[in-house]
Amino acid sequence: MNENFDAAADAALFARLRSVWEERDPVPADLIDRMVAAVAVADLSREYALLTLVETADLAAVRGEHDTLTLQFSDGKTSVLLHVSETEAGARRIDGWVDGEALAVRLVQGEREWSADAGETGRFAFDSVPAGLSRLRLAVREDDGLREFETTQFEV
Amino acid sequence: MGLMTDTDRSDPLDATPDDPGAAVEHAEPTRWERAADLFGQWREGRTRAMDELVRLMSPVLWHVVRAYGLDRALAEDVVQTTWLTLVRRHETILDPKAVSGWLTTCARREAWRVGKLQRRADPTEVEHLEPHLPIQESAEDSAVDGDQTSRLWSAVATLDERCRRLLRVVAFEERPDYARLAQDLSMPIGSIGPTRQRCLAKVRAVLESAGGER
Repeated sequence: MNENFDAAADAALFARLRSVWEERDPVPADLIDRMVAAVAVADLSREYALLTLVETADLAAVRGEHDTLTLQFSDGKTSVLLHVSETEAGARRIDGWVDGEALAVRLVQGEREWSADAGETGRFAFDSVPAGLSRLRLAVREDDGLREFETTQFEV
Repeated sequence: MGLMTDTDRSDPLDATPDDPGAAVEHAEPTRWERAADLFGQWREGRTRAMDELVRLMSPVLWHVVRAYGLDRALAEDVVQTTWLTLVRRHETILDPKAVSGWLTTCARREAWRVGKLQRRADPTEVEHLEPHLPIQESAEDSAVDGDQTSRLWSAVATLDERCRRLLRVVAFEERPDYARLAQDLSMPIGSIGPTRQRCLAKVRAVLESAGGER
């Protein structure tokens, strides 16, 4: 290995290179918050605030052949609304809305998980997931930081 | 600094060889030491320590991943994949002190994999356009540092891709995994050090010819 005879000068140049890259190709705004949120909904060692089912409406009778289900979860303050429909391939599409800024949303079925992007509008969607017992985990931005939620299990 | 995990050494994720050239400040805990401490706390049940670890290491992962020429959206995906992999596979890190090297190696490995797919799928090579994006800086900064920064940035732009990648990875990783780097760059491990010096010399030469600065 090449012996470094002028390590201090190299270190100084590396420090300057670092600041150039930091300035010219900065970490995207909010990247860190999004990463914290993504980890928060994947990290099962956490305690999640529980969102329980407060309302369910099965619109099959109204809509005809395709089953369409609406579920609402809440802890009294934060609410999540899910609209479940059947895709042509027989899978499920879930359109969701949360009354807050969700930075990460994750759908869990046993060992399988899917993540969805959610923006400031609070809308998110899972285009195609299998039918089955599911749970939703969310990380929502609140005044004093991030809060993680988990719904009770529901069938899609 | 002989920090090795004692897991299967064929897995590059678990190898964290010492970096012979990294400049490390000793006045306060180094980043990898803080990362190790936070990871240890998280494993002991302080769940919020993970948030701090993510805040500490995400900027490093960003720059390491971007060194592979991924566009910004893909780079963010790779950083996220790296974190989810940590949460899922953290048991494989037997020594918490290895977490920093594990993360950057995982990010580089994933960036390498995704980068190959991107180049295959997208021949327009988005990354070549991005250096010309508007510079983000405040008015006060630009008056003082703009000139120096511009010159250094121009010098970096004259480097070949291999040099740029190597310098950026080494600049942001405190203890780069030279074995994996050598593999990524199709170089013998023994030539990483000399190549690094050659790339630095090139930057210096361009700076000097541009205005007597070293």
